[in-house]
Amino acid sequence: MWRIWLLFDPRRALVALFTFLFVLALLIHFILLSTDRFNWLQGPAVSQAVTSEVLSSLPDRVA
Amino acid sequence: MADDKRGSLTGLTENEAKEFHGIFVTSFIVFTVIAIIAHFLVWQWRPWL
Repeated sequence: MWRIWLLFDPRRALVALFTFLFVLALLIHFILLSTDRFNWLQGPAVSQAVTSEVLSSLPDRVA
Repeated sequence: MADDKRGSLTGLTENEAKEFHGIFVTSFIVFTVIAIIAHFLVWQWRPWL
């Protein structure tokens, strides 16, 4: 298996591998952030309808 | 036959290729272990299946 480095230049292979892994990681993280379930920063986005429903059911308060 | 010569396609000798391969495999294993730990923690947080 080590003979692969006689065929492929280690420096280029490493640059290619790191670039690929970095882009892949970035892609996966942004995909996860775009979902409701796996957004670890903001949590699930509350829809406008549910928000207004909850707010209208609250008792009136003096501002 | 070609392996005995210094001039491989990449210019690496057999020993250099073996040395680099050892570092590469070790790094790959470390990376994989960290990835497994990360996946285990995320699965504990919110399983995806």
